[in-house]
Amino acid sequence: MVVGDVSTGTEVAVVGAGPGGYVAAIRAGQLGLDVTLVEKDAYGGTCLNYGCIPSKAMITATDVAHSAGNAEEMGVYADPEVDVGEMVAWKDEVVEQLTGGVEQLCKANGVNLIEGRAEFAGNDKLRVVHGGDGQGSETITYEHCIVATGSKPIEVPGFEFDGEHVLNSRQALAMDDYPESMVVVGAGYIGMEISTVLAKLGVDVTVVEMLDEALVGYEDDLARPVTQHAEELGIDFEFGLAADSWAESGDGIVVTAADEDGETTDFETDKVLVAVGRQPVTDTLNLDAVGLEPNEDGRIETDDQARTDVENVFAIGDVAPGPMLAHKASKEGEVAAEVIAGEPAALDYQAVPAAVFTDPEIATVGLTADAAEAQGFEPAVGKFPFSASGRALTTGEGEGFVRVVADEDSGFILGAQIVGPEASELIAELALAIELGATLEDVAATIHTHPTLAEAVKEASEHALGHAIHTLNR
Amino acid sequence: MAREFKLPDVGEGVAEGEIVSWLVSEGDAVTEDQPVAEVETDKAVVEVPSPVNGTVQKIHFEAGTVVPVGDVIVTFDVEGEAAEPADAEAETEPEAEAESESKSATSRAESRTFAPPSVRRLARELGVDLDAVEGTGPSGRVTEGDVRAAAEGEEPAAAEAETATEPAETTQTTAAPSTQPAATGSQEAAGRDRTLAAPATRGLARELGVDIDDVPAVEQRDGEAFVTAEAVQQYAEGGQAAQAEAPAAGAPRQYAEGGETTEPYRGIRRTIGKQMAESKYTAPHVTHHDTAPIDALVETRARLKERATEKDVKLTYMPFVMKAIVAALKEFPILNSELREEEEEIAIKQDYNVGIAVATDAGLMVPVVKHVDQKSILQVASEVNELAQKARDRSISREEMQGGTFTVTNFGAIGGEYATPIINYPETAIMGLGAIDERPVAEDGEVRAAMTLPLSLSIDHRVIDGAEAAAFTNQVMEYLTDPELLLLE
Ligand SMILES: Cc1cc2nc3c(=O)[nH]c(=O)nc-3n(C[C@H](O)[C@H](O)[C@H](O)COP(=O)(O)OP(=O)(O)OC[C@H]3O[C@@H](n4cnc5c(N)ncnc54)[C@H](O)[C@@H]3O)c2cc1C
Repeated sequence: MVVGDVSTGTEVAVVGAGPGGYVAAIRAGQLGLDVTLVEKDAYGGTCLNYGCIPSKAMITATDVAHSAGNAEEMGVYADPEVDVGEMVAWKDEVVEQLTGGVEQLCKANGVNLIEGRAEFAGNDKLRVVHGGDGQGSETITYEHCIVATGSKPIEVPGFEFDGEHVLNSRQALAMDDYPESMVVVGAGYIGMEISTVLAKLGVDVTVVEMLDEALVGYEDDLARPVTQHAEELGIDFEFGLAADSWAESGDGIVVTAADEDGETTDFETDKVLVAVGRQPVTDTLNLDAVGLEPNEDGRIETDDQARTDVENVFAIGDVAPGPMLAHKASKEGEVAAEVIAGEPAALDYQAVPAAVFTDPEIATVGLTADAAEAQGFEPAVGKFPFSASGRALTTGEGEGFVRVVADEDSGFILGAQIVGPEASELIAELALAIELGATLEDVAATIHTHPTLAEAVKEASEHALGHAIHTLNR
Repeated sequence: MAREFKLPDVGEGVAEGEIVSWLVSEGDAVTEDQPVAEVETDKAVVEVPSPVNGTVQKIHFEAGTVVPVGDVIVTFDVEGEAAEPADAEAETEPEAEAESESKSATSRAESRTFAPPSVRRLARELGVDLDAVEGTGPSGRVTEGDVRAAAEGEEPAAAEAETATEPAETTQTTAAPSTQPAATGSQEAAGRDRTLAAPATRGLARELGVDIDDVPAVEQRDGEAFVTAEAVQQYAEGGQAAQAEAPAAGAPRQYAEGGETTEPYRGIRRTIGKQMAESKYTAPHVTHHDTAPIDALVETRARLKERATEKDVKLTYMPFVMKAIVAALKEFPILNSELREEEEEIAIKQDYNVGIAVATDAGLMVPVVKHVDQKSILQVASEVNELAQKARDRSISREEMQGGTFTVTNFGAIGGEYATPIINYPETAIMGLGAIDERPVAEDGEVRAAMTLPLSLSIDHRVIDGAEAAAFTNQVMEYLTDPELLLLE
């Protein structure tokens, strides 16, 4: 112990206050455990401060402006004036309200909050180094520790984030003055979401992607409407090119990208956003001291109770294996806290829903038809196009469809894919169906409000059963 | 290559076994014939050996699960061959599916068992392996009731299968895990105005021509009756609807005020229970009591005991009693019998095989000493000792517990004078022995302290009359009072 250390004892120490960590801390507090939550940066983690929430705020705000300006069809003629500064300020307010809420909820549930960077100092101790000079450090002795240090953007060699010319997603979302043009490296969901925001603000966007399609991992018929619509918004796609280097040039920069034969192409632009993926944060922690080591993917391996190889250490969220999604982090946080409290909790979910907040949105849960077949099911697939949905047409968005995948024999719903308006909301019903072991008939026989987009879920289920009303049956 | 290993027929006529413990874990290497699990059947515990050299790939049931013979309990990875790729599984599975509708969901259960999160949590709470539970919900979904029933050791699916073939009465005894207050489940139509049920359940009701408002509900949601698919199924089959659903949320159930602990009613305990109930409710019992003064026997046994010890045999009173009983049985063969109601005949046995009730940690067991009439007292003594020991350490085989014609129960070993023993059905008589002790005996106008053995003989009054019971007991007492008479036997 160094001089000046203050030593505290706690039953549960949580490192990182993202949607994994703060949820774990609150649940542990609810269960009567003595909890200490250590955060080095901002309550709410990536999700609330730099990820899900700010991106969604910007997506909605730019969409409002874009829709208003593109509603001539409905007899609306408008050319909305956008004050980007105010828009960003509004977004910041939303973030502030939410992060403030997290802090309050933690306190209300008896969670001790400590600001600083935590690192292991043996397998029952954390040293917390406070920010700034001379603020010293303190030691926390714990019985159980939950590691929730999240993830950070991957840097492409040669493209060090400088916040001025080369930005990561966080920096891009914090801009309060938009350039005329931008290159976005990476056509994954983060790149596509932010490109859409930029395009709707009138930025000239070029997406450079190494692979030959956008949104890899999503089925073609889901990604296609998104790419098409993005092109309509004026986004240029440059597939098969890998960002190679950049240089300042006049007022702006030149981004050089190379194809697989080494042929290069230059893009003149103002700034470049690099969004090629995220990597787990394990280097802030001194994992060695507790005898843990990240696996090949850089993640900390866990079992179905979120427990690591060290009995009293748990890992959750982006730093643990599985999809890097906020809701998955939160679920793991709840389970870890419950397990520590001695409850019979486990990560036994059937499916993690995922959404891409592009225009149109994509949302998926569970198995695709192919995956179902590969697992030995005989898939019954039902599909309903939004072009046949009354509600979709009345919102002016008749693009996309709902697809439901079920087991032909038993009718159990195994998965769903949606592309179209409010896909991210619609997927919830199907996620519930999968968890409950609901059958196509259960969904089909449930009355859905008319006119709503959710009716498409019912119709898709009926389609799989061969008796959809508003579309031709298979 | 993966080799599936099914629970073998571990004993004649055994339909299921409880996996008492696993002797290996997943990933362990095993050699052929190495015991992998301990399985308890109705009466004995056996070790199940591995049929192959290889490694344990997957253990399919947790210890404590009752598994039907023929179910895959463990998958081995056979040495030298690569593990089977997932798609091989995919190829074989659809075949199994064809077997039956409800089975299809569970035959695929290896990849997924369909159960709502609340049920999955309950299963963890109760220590039930969900994959091993046969679902009775729509399309074989596992319900809360299924998990509770599994925890109580009662497979609802098995019960349901019986429902199909057995008359309603049987359904009730097998399907109801006896926890449900009888009041909720009469066969009368419930005739509610409003019933909550999942859409698929309503569909099922329509399919089966049942008015869902008539189906007795054991569950409530928001104060409204909630009907499950299995309740509809059972109601449709005329069974005592909804009983199979174990006490579910909202179903009023009275617990002991000070709390209670529960333990599974299965394995040996359940077998004993079934047999006792069958005997007691089938055979009208009459118990005859008397006391034999046995001063001479005490002396004889004391004398012979030393000789027996020299031959390494512990000589108790039991062999003398058994010999006395067999001698008396020869004179009253009707007590060495069995009533076969169906065939309308009473079978009088020519063998004198005496069962001895032995209390063990797991419950009562009855090893049988065969042909007592042809064996010496010393032989009988050593056999009794050996069998009792085997029963206690559970190494006894089924054969050693079969073939009895008459049973002796020595409750007096623990204490007490008289009892009303339950006949080891389908035998027709059982002799209970009280504690041997000094008791006052009136003889020739005097009361003296004599060593006595109280006897309690229960008989099946359908076959044996009270007079015969008394006469038989007198005969046994005569041999015990004057053990030298046994020399003539
Ligand atoms: C632009 C963007 C958009 C996104 N949109 C979505 C979306 O729409 N939906 C969705 O589900 N997910 C989205 N995500 C992903 C989501 O943000 C993450 O999956 C989620 O935040 C992971 O939560 P976590 O708790 O594991 O980690 P984080 O949220 O990353 O939190 C980890 C916290 O730990 C702190 N920390 C790290 N090391 C230490 C240490 N040693 N000591 C103390 N504190 C430490 C960090 O400061 C951070 O606050 C998005 C991400 C980005 C970048």
